[in-house]
Amino acid sequence: MSDVEEYGFISKLIGPKKRWRAYKARAKQLPENYRAAVEAIERYMMHFVPTDGDSDASRFEDLADLFEQAAADGRSIREIVGENPVEFVEAFVENYSAGGYVPARARKRLTEAIERAAGQGA
Amino acid sequence: MSKQMTEMLKGTLEGIVLATLSGRPAYGYEITARLREQGFSDIAEGTIYALLVRVEKRGLVDVEKVPSEKGPPRKVYSLNAQGREYLDEFWRTWSFLTERLEQLREGGG
Repeated sequence: MSDVEEYGFISKLIGPKKRWRAYKARAKQLPENYRAAVEAIERYMMHFVPTDGDSDASRFEDLADLFEQAAADGRSIREIVGENPVEFVEAFVENYSAGGYVPARARKRLTEAIERAAGQGA
Repeated sequence: MSKQMTEMLKGTLEGIVLATLSGRPAYGYEITARLREQGFSDIAEGTIYALLVRVEKRGLVDVEKVPSEKGPPRKVYSLNAQGREYLDEFWRTWSFLTERLEQLREGGG
């Protein structure tokens, strides 16, 4: 975040991209099923309209923080996400975004992906 | 957790979390674990985490990153002066509500 203030306009454009790549790298380091859960949440989050690059980037960084910590402590995906992943992500995103349109099939996709990652589905 | 419980919790969870912080600072999962111990068994860690991000943005808690033995550093949250003020107001509102609700239960209005 301080990058943007320090280096001005160019890094305002580059900054969020760099942070996005750093987030992707962190997600890759997670255990397989945690990564699957994070990627499902990431896909779902794409429907929300970001208000600015900074808060948009912190949204994904905070997501990585949460899952890294939980994976390190061996907590289950259900313990993190709960029974209703749609509700969880919507509460999560509220903090960063003005919101956006989420199609019903995206909700279904998130719910099913978390079921698979948590080992409760087919 | 029943649907009604979920709905009622939505409006009070912020106060509940700030109240658990009023004794001593804690990191996210500690708060979730404390709440589970106290009978809020179905609360997801992610829900508490999202809520902590929100109260941090509103300036009700201070955050310190503390290194952990395993894994990444933990964010430790503590209630600040503004948070205490908010919590006081939360308890006043809560007392008002419970009083009125008791009256309704006993006398039907």
